[in-house]
Parts: sequence; C-alpha cells; structure tokens
Amino acid sequence: MPDERANDELHEYLSGNSSLSRQYRRENSPLPPHALDRMILDASRAAAREPKSFFKSQALAPLAFAASVFLSLAMVLAVVLGPQARKTDDKARVVQVRMFKSEPPRAAISSPRERNPAAWLAYIDSLRQGGRANEAQLEMRRFRSAYPDYIIPVNE
Amino acid sequence: MNVQDQDTGLMLRYRDGDAAAFSALYAHYKGPLYRYLLRHARNACVAADLFQEVWSHLIATRARYEPRAKFATFLFSIAHNCAIDFFRRDLNLRRAVFAHQTDPVLTEPEVPEHLRPDRVAEYAEQESALLAAVDALPQEQREAFLLREETGLSIEDIARITDVPVETAKSRLRYAVRKLKHSLRPMQEHGPLRLRTYA
Repeated sequence: MPDERANDELHEYLSGNSSLSRQYRRENSPLPPHALDRMILDASRAAAREPKSFFKSQALAPLAFAASVFLSLAMVLAVVLGPQARKTDDKARVVQVRMFKSEPPRAAISSPRERNPAAWLAYIDSLRQGGRANEAQLEMRRFRSAYPDYIIPVNE
Repeated sequence: MNVQDQDTGLMLRYRDGDAAAFSALYAHYKGPLYRYLLRHARNACVAADLFQEVWSHLIATRARYEPRAKFATFLFSIAHNCAIDFFRRDLNLRRAVFAHQTDPVLTEPEVPEHLRPDRVAEYAEQESALLAAVDALPQEQREAFLLREETGLSIEDIARITDVPVETAKSRLRYAVRKLKHSLRPMQEHGPLRLRTYA
C-alpha cells in the first residue's frame, strides 16, 4: 500500500537517523556574511543599552489589570444602581387625596350699605328684629359670602 | 534544564538588558536560521535581507517577550511570517515584471535584484542534487522539511510555526520525504552527483 509505505518512510525519517537526514547534514552549511553578524550584534547591544521605558514595563501590567477591573466594576454599578435604572412601578397604588370644598363664589356687593360691613350687619339685625327671619338669614349668608373673614361681635 | 529552556532563559535575560545573552542565542541559531531562509527563498540576497529582518524584529520586540513556546518555535515563527511576506511581495513583483514585458514599448524591463538570471544561476550552481531536489519541492513541503532538518522541531511545533493543523504539517512532511527519497534514488544507485546549472 503506497500510503503505508509513505508512513513508514516518515516514521523512519522522524526517528532522526534516516539516510535523507544524514545526506542533508553532509551538505555544506553556509553562514550569514560577517558584516551582517556585526550589524545585528551591534543593533542588539545598542538596544540592550537603552533604558527601559517605565510605561512599557511589564511591572505595570498588574496595575493596568487592576485599573481595568475597577473601571468595569464602576460601570456595572452605575448601570445597575443608577437613576436611569429605576423603573416605574406597574402596580396600582392607593393614593390619599385630601378634598377641599371649593369656596362659594363671593356675593356681589350691589349697594353702598353692603360696602360697609357694620352697616350691613345692622341692617340684618333690623330685619331679624322686624320678624323677617328668612330675609335676615339670606342676608346673613350673603354677608358671610362677601366677608368670610369678618369677625362678628357676639351680641349680634 | 534542556537546550530549549536555556534558550528561553537567554531570551529573558536579553529582554532584561543582558546583551551577552543575545550573542549566545545568535551564535546558536544564526546557521539554522540562515540556511532555512536561504533554501526556502532560494536566493542569497533575499535570505540575507530576511535574516536581518527576523533578528531586527526580535530585538525591537524584546520588551514584550513572554515565553509561551520553545525559543526555536518563537524565532522560526517570526522567520516564517517574514518569508510569507516576502513571497507575497515577490509574487506581486513577478506580476509587475510580467506586465511590463508584455508592453511592447518597454523593451528592457527592470528586473528585481533577486530575480536576475545571474543571481538565480549563481545560487543554483552551488547546489547538490539533494538541495536541487529540495528546491523542486512545493513551497509548503520545502518549508516543513527545512524546519525539521534545521531545528529538529517536532511536527506539532512545525504546525505551530506554519499555522496549520498538525495533520497538515505531517502530510506535508510525508510528501516531502517521499519526493526527496524518490528523486535521490538514482543518485544512491550510481553514486553522488553534483548538479551544475548553466545560465
């Protein structure tokens, strides 16, 4: 079988002592020109004399790694805990709302008497004393509407 | 500590500024590396250029060196990449030269130094029958054979250098060995011959 033969040849060759390898080693062994040797060795010595750059130093690698980890962690925390991450709650909430009765519209002041609260109260009192209680009550409501903060004396 | 570990140690020492460590590495690898490049590129001028390029790259990147493989694997990986770049450039040059030659206005196109017939013939004249047979191998098979012969690296390391699966590297080496044995059989039967090529 040709494949098996080729494999056998390869195994024999890889064993290191094949006739092919022996023949190759008998060939002349050219070397690079001496001028090239000098040039490369000079370049290597010049490079070795160069001071090592601090920023290129391998010693900075752990520091760079730590900085990367720190920044990554900070970014993750910013994303997870940042204000933009707070989502609105979808659940229904019970909200207490304090309702206030709207203030009744203030009564329109139609006469000069009504511009003077004391005179208006005196008029209401006269209505009450004249037996016109309903009218007195109506006027009193209008008075309250027109002057809600007016302090009415106790005797009135 | 074996030789490979010693070489890695030398490279680490050079990385840290020890020029003598580089000299030791250079003395150990200059022959194998030069022959690999010479017989792979098949031109002395190109081999010298690539040789300088490989060592210059190693010197320039020494500060970033981390031992992740045998030093030989590391060094010949650089050499492989430089050679690949050369073959790409060379292919483009050949295409450019061919394009000029088809132009009737340009009667004498400028041929790159390494493609000059006298240079090619000069190299071919120095070859034995074995090296001529190595030359005749396809590029990938030639490289696998040269890496094995010049470095003694395993098939796994050769696969790593040439960036192919182990089975591919093994197959390339198997074909190379087969073809070389086949082409050398007449020589073994009739005694060694020197191949001469006339320009």
